[in-house]
Amino acid sequence: MIVKRRVAIIAALSIAAMTALIVWKPTVLIYGLQAAGLYAAVAIPMGLVLGIVHIVNLAHGECMMLAAYAAYFGCKALGMDPLVAILPTAIVTAIFGWVVFQLTIRRALKAPELNQLILTFGLAIAFSQAINLIFTSQTYKMPLEYVSASMDIGDISFGVWSFVFVAVAIIFAYGLTFFLTKTMTGKAAVAVGQNPRGAAIVGIDVYRTYGLVFALALALVGAMGALFLTKSAIFPGVGSPFTMKSFCLIAMAGIGNIPGILGASVLLGVAENFLRAFRPTRDWAEIVFFVLIIVVILARSLKGRKS
Amino acid sequence: MLRIQNLDCGYGRMKVIDGVDFEVGAESVGLFGPNGAGKSTLIGAVMGMVKPWKGSIELDGQRIDGAETYAIARMGVALVPQERELFPGMSVYDNLVLGAAYIPHAKDDIPTQLEKVFTLFPILKERRTQCAGTMSGGQQRMLAIGRALMSKPRLLILDEPSLGLQPSIVAEVFEVLKRLKSSVSILVTEQNVRESLKAIDRGYVLENGRIVLKDSAEGLQTNPYVIKSYLGI
Repeated sequence: MIVKRRVAIIAALSIAAMTALIVWKPTVLIYGLQAAGLYAAVAIPMGLVLGIVHIVNLAHGECMMLAAYAAYFGCKALGMDPLVAILPTAIVTAIFGWVVFQLTIRRALKAPELNQLILTFGLAIAFSQAINLIFTSQTYKMPLEYVSASMDIGDISFGVWSFVFVAVAIIFAYGLTFFLTKTMTGKAAVAVGQNPRGAAIVGIDVYRTYGLVFALALALVGAMGALFLTKSAIFPGVGSPFTMKSFCLIAMAGIGNIPGILGASVLLGVAENFLRAFRPTRDWAEIVFFVLIIVVILARSLKGRKS
Repeated sequence: MLRIQNLDCGYGRMKVIDGVDFEVGAESVGLFGPNGAGKSTLIGAVMGMVKPWKGSIELDGQRIDGAETYAIARMGVALVPQERELFPGMSVYDNLVLGAAYIPHAKDDIPTQLEKVFTLFPILKERRTQCAGTMSGGQQRMLAIGRALMSKPRLLILDEPSLGLQPSIVAEVFEVLKRLKSSVSILVTEQNVRESLKAIDRGYVLENGRIVLKDSAEGLQTNPYVIKSYLGI
């Protein structure tokens, strides 16, 4: 009852804040939602890995960066549009994810959490430095006409392409929820996440399931890498902010809470764009997720102390 | 069925099981002993959770020592662990279905097996949509047994099934074991020797990692050592 009341209060406050924003600064809401879509679409696969494999993959953003580079050079070589490259990139990164899991992460699953963090942090550095060595720190961008499409509502004009990330985030969230709750493989993955020992007892190959989940997460990140290419220039360090922001969103939503990641992304995206609206020359927006993560951790600590 | 020969195993450098010979045929077998005797370690070794140092474990003549837990489960060995090891955030129904979904000889008979489990434990049918983690300890134990039975096991292993349960539930659990013993081989470890002896055909007594006594249920019931040490008479 108390939880329902709290949810109702949060929903009412959110609707009130959104309404105020639409009237006062509509572009904050529009660009905030677009950014939220991008953040959520990148964070959801990380949440999947954290919820089932129980690993914080600090190379998550770098995996998206690798996928973006693969998509860029694939598109250049074959004369493809990045949208056509989404599926092949997803397949390639899934295979890459499986190999990375079997060669590295699998061996650290029984190690202390600090070792796992160091391992994935090392992978992140290795991936970004390898790209830096091969392709230098030069930026690459695909010239695409359709991404500059815009829309006018009254006297406001805004780009519409980034709404594709909102659609992708919703597809990822609903698709994964369907997979995890309605398919036997998905249920087995949830079972492994909840109790790996219990899962082995009923005949589920726990490490194979971990590998599949990791590969699936990287497939989604790979798809996002190709799609990211349509919006932004890529360079070796382009992925690392997404690792931190994804982790921040998962911490805000709670592990395994996919709809929560969508909500947290809206909060982060709108808050960042709200700051940008008032401080356009200095990018203060980048500190928003630090503030949010500190607030969330403090709130959780106080709640834990009370209970 | 299950044959263990000259088995040594333990944790780190500490030997827990020392030269154990043990057999379970088409029957119901009890494994008794005080806390720390090595009962759960022996079961862990059978299920591939504890790696043997020496000796062999065979299931129907096939070596299973060193095999992974999931592979042993797929061969037809079902375990009801002391800690139950359910999937607490999933429904009773999903817990039961997952008990059979990855077992090659059981995955096509899920509806039939569900009906059998619901007949044995009607409470599970009533609560099929409830989250396993929100059930009482006794109901969770029934769910763990039901989940194991879903796999149509050749050998059902129960590790301390009465631990922490109220007497009425303990009686219900042992009643179910009596009903099951005609259809499946059973290995049960227990500290509640009195109740167990009514449900088994043969028993072993394990102390300090060694088998110190083996006999039929009747033989154990009248054995002066068992009477003094385990029946408290």
